[in-house]
Amino acid sequence: MASKFGFAGGIPERRVRPIWDAVDSRQFKNALKLSTALLSKYPNSPYALALKALILERMGKNEEALSVCLNAKEILCNNDSNVFVDDLTLSTLQIVFQRLDHLEMATSCYEYACTKYPNNLELMMGLFSCYVREYSFVKQQQIAIKMYKIAGEERFLLWAVCSIQLQVCCGNGAEKLFQLAEGLLKKHIASHGLHEPEALSVYISLLEQQCKYGDALEILSGKLGALMMIEVDKLRLQGRLLARAGDYVAAADVFQKLLELCPDDWECFLQYLGCLLEDESILIKDTDPFDSRMSQAVDFVRKLMVEANNNSVRCPYLAHLEIERRKLLFGKGDADKVVEDLMQYFIRVSFLKNLVKECEGSVSGPTKELGQSITVFKIQNSIGELFSLPVNDLEDIAVQMTEMFCKNLSLSKELDAQESMHGEELLSLACTVLVQLFWRTRDLGYLLESIMVLEFGLAIRRYVWQYKILLVHLYSYWSSLPLAYERYKSLDVKNILLETVSAHILPQMLASPLWADLSDLLREYLKFMDDHFRESADLTFLAYRHRNYSKVIEFVQFKERLQHSSQYLMVKIEAPILQLKQNSNNIDEVECILESLRCGTHSLELSNEIRGKSLTFNEDLKLRPWWTPTFDKNYLLGPFEGVSSCPRENTHNQIKQTEENVLKTVEKRSLLPRMIYLSIYSASESVKENLEANGAVVDSKISLELKTLLERYTKILDFPFQDAVELVFGFSSGQKPFEAPSPDMIDWMNFAVFLNAWNLNSHEVKFSDRDPSSTSTWNLVNTMLRKYVMETIRCTGPVVSSPGSHLPFLVQLVTEPLAWHAVIIHSCMRSLHPSGKKKKKGGSVDQSNTQLLHEIQNSIQSLCDTTEMVMKWLREQLDTPDDEKFEAIFSSILRNGRNDGPGKVFKILESSSSLIKDVEVGPRILEAVKSWSPAGDVRKIIAGQRSLLSEFLKICELKLKSLQAVRVQL
Amino acid sequence: MVCIRKATVDDLLAMQACNLFCLPENYQMKYYLYHILSWPQLLYVAEDYNGKIVGYVLAKMEEETTECHGHITSLAVLRTHRKLGLATKLMTAAQNAMEQVYGAEYVSLHVRKSNRAAFNLYTETLGYKIHDVEAKYYADGEDAYDMRKQLKGRKHHHHHHHHHHHHGADAVLPTRKQMKSLAIN
Repeated sequence: MASKFGFAGGIPERRVRPIWDAVDSRQFKNALKLSTALLSKYPNSPYALALKALILERMGKNEEALSVCLNAKEILCNNDSNVFVDDLTLSTLQIVFQRLDHLEMATSCYEYACTKYPNNLELMMGLFSCYVREYSFVKQQQIAIKMYKIAGEERFLLWAVCSIQLQVCCGNGAEKLFQLAEGLLKKHIASHGLHEPEALSVYISLLEQQCKYGDALEILSGKLGALMMIEVDKLRLQGRLLARAGDYVAAADVFQKLLELCPDDWECFLQYLGCLLEDESILIKDTDPFDSRMSQAVDFVRKLMVEANNNSVRCPYLAHLEIERRKLLFGKGDADKVVEDLMQYFIRVSFLKNLVKECEGSVSGPTKELGQSITVFKIQNSIGELFSLPVNDLEDIAVQMTEMFCKNLSLSKELDAQESMHGEELLSLACTVLVQLFWRTRDLGYLLESIMVLEFGLAIRRYVWQYKILLVHLYSYWSSLPLAYERYKSLDVKNILLETVSAHILPQMLASPLWADLSDLLREYLKFMDDHFRESADLTFLAYRHRNYSKVIEFVQFKERLQHSSQYLMVKIEAPILQLKQNSNNIDEVECILESLRCGTHSLELSNEIRGKSLTFNEDLKLRPWWTPTFDKNYLLGPFEGVSSCPRENTHNQIKQTEENVLKTVEKRSLLPRMIYLSIYSASESVKENLEANGAVVDSKISLELKTLLERYTKILDFPFQDAVELVFGFSSGQKPFEAPSPDMIDWMNFAVFLNAWNLNSHEVKFSDRDPSSTSTWNLVNTMLRKYVMETIRCTGPVVSSPGSHLPFLVQLVTEPLAWHAVIIHSCMRSLHPSGKKKKKGGSVDQSNTQLLHEIQNSIQSLCDTTEMVMKWLREQLDTPDDEKFEAIFSSILRNGRNDGPGKVFKILESSSSLIKDVEVGPRILEAVKSWSPAGDVRKIIAGQRSLLSEFLKICELKLKSLQAVRVQL
Repeated sequence: MVCIRKATVDDLLAMQACNLFCLPENYQMKYYLYHILSWPQLLYVAEDYNGKIVGYVLAKMEEETTECHGHITSLAVLRTHRKLGLATKLMTAAQNAMEQVYGAEYVSLHVRKSNRAAFNLYTETLGYKIHDVEAKYYADGEDAYDMRKQLKGRKHHHHHHHHHHHHGADAVLPTRKQMKSLAIN
């Protein structure tokens, strides 16, 4: 089977080359023609078939491609000695199988070939890569060991060792496997030594994982240590190992040596100091060792300062401060001295910065001043000082910031539009101050100003992502979600940023009527993640081949981190729910979708899979504005609570809380598709039950499963099932007050809907001792929906002047519980009137269904009324002329002789274009400033709100239509 | 204070964000992964005290030519963290690794003709010299300076592991024998 020169897959290369070229230039039709011709000459050549399959796959003809592949596989594996088998053929087939998501078939081809031609290293490497792609760590290890035994090469041994490490780190392997790996390495080293730095680092990590620090240190200082070619890397590793072994004195020595080599390595200094202090003898409140250790550190840092002839080294100076700070913490410092040192440090640093700039020949004076002012503002902001200022002072600060930005525009005269401008941060800072003013005063003008400063900034330079992210949140808050989405899109979020950044918009979109945009967002995200998982195995193999063994482990762990992403799981669960919402007016479509979700069990499995494993949270929360540290918290929705509630202090707890909530939400949402499926079934069964003779077998399994899911659902809501039933009856009868609109209420409403569907068959909910007005669970759902919609509308002001409005709850109410309830009605109706035989023999509907019909009639009427109530409200909002809305918003920043309240910042922005002279800022900036239109900003907000409301209205109209259509059937 | 350290795979999350916020070019994630899995010793990040990535350098080895040399693919430092000497530290770390780990003879890079700040950093602080001009190198049609800096090269030849790094940009492909475009486009 050996490859012959000039042959490819057993075929002369000159015959294959034109096909390669055609594929290369994407002329697939031509390639296919050539490949057909080749096949007529070599009909049984697996390679010719593999090429054809590859072309077909490229043309999108996946089924044909698969059948050709299977054909090739059959020929390959039928034990005919005339068939030519080589790695080129197998790896070409592998590519196609992989693209068709049939990794296992590629693996079985290689497995077969390896049995047929034992000891062929090339094929074995191919098989190894197949196992890498399948993350079959044990099989990887076995084949790697085989290769090692045949060739005795170090790399194969290391492949095996990595595979063992992966079994423990990412699989179910026990830790004692490390011993096996260590043994293998030891034996090899004894006879052959080690030759690769990466092999050494794997060996060390193996020992570290077993807490054998002493052994690791010994190896590092022995002959093998020479493999570490970068001296400082070696010292760093030594220091870490010593510290982990508890030998802090020796570790401190190593870090001290390291600092002499890299005096500007702050991380190293912290470790040095840590080692000096971590010695147990200092933990005892005995001050002697503390003093002597600290003075040792002080001396050493002084020495570094003297030796650092390079003026730009900062670490020793900062180290000095850190030592003084630690002394203070130990109760041995002098606070005044620390302040004095701090001042000295800042003077020095700003002197340095200045020096650097002078060397580079750039302007120093005004740029430096601007930088210093920004630093002061930032410090004020980060120590929370701004929260304690009175409103007037705070307003002055916003004014100062804006003014400073405008005045300094001239500094950016020469800069390219793509370069950041001087003082750009001032506008973000001004925005956050203005939002705080809004929070405190509830004066809409401040909110508008917070938006305007950013839009003004974007008019001058449209690339500032900080402005865009703030705007995404402000527009979302002000019910102008389409505009928020537009700003989000301008961030051009792609690749891994889809994982870290899309949380700025995704949660709002999930609760919105913007289904088309949401669907794009979800699809794009899933595509990226799924593509990455498909490719990541190839990349893992790349690390093996480049012998970067430590990266193999890291990379597989990274893949797992993404795979366990809470957002990924959430999107996988929400995407089908969105489809169900979009098609909820058509029960056949709903069933079709559920069918493709394995009757709704798909989502259940997803959430079961994740239970027990911990989810990862990869969102970049640091990019979020202060008032919404997590997606489910927005301080602006509540009242200002003074300095004590300074959000920054609570962020950590808030994040933990959110992470816990996400787990619950994901599980709760994962139950929905299956509950909908079972409810549809239960509803239609209840009709059949009535239609058929009394005592017919009802599928009690369905009932039981639905009950189990309902119990699980209430458990997530922290209620036992019976209490939950009591609670919803309490809500509906008015004995339990409705809380303010909250996501919880949507959950309760969903519960009531599915409770009703379950009760249609089980009849377990009794009414005797309940409120007489609730005669059935149908009634319960209808009343709850009506009351809650009414209540939500009652406490929701006009959208235009009520930022943070309850609109999202209203949308969710109509598109979820109300829609699911309607689906259940559709299901009943379909069973009562099977299509094709509208009139059953013996007249209309069976007598026993009269009661049910009555309930359905009432429910349809009630749902129509409820939907119309929402539509009426929406039309009122939409009927208000835009000019009137414009007045309402815009007047909030017009001062008209007022002395207090918002408008000062706006005034600065408005007058900036007349203040700025062409000569000062250059034509580009001047043009941009002139192009900014404050009225335009307001109109865009209004237009965004309008389009959101219209989308919602459309959904309501369609819902009403479909309900009316059912009513006609009655 | 900002620390310079070797990049890990996990850093890619933050590095990509850093790139988005610094540079007009926005690379594919695959491109980063390709670098870190192939030449992990040449990737360094600058990490802020609270774990935020504020800069990075991405580099690779070109080992197919006669003279083994390194190439700086991308260098970025957040605007908020400039003028702290981070770019210099990152570059020095990558250059040292090229020299000590791979025995690079020289290191090359491309820079936009209009990017004076970067040009000054390369020529004045880091000692690069213009080797050539590449017309219309960037997507927007701008020319690039092809710059080089001589390194000391390999002192001793006892490690040959890098000789296996003979795969170019198509190393993600299953085997070299296959046509470039067959596997991944």
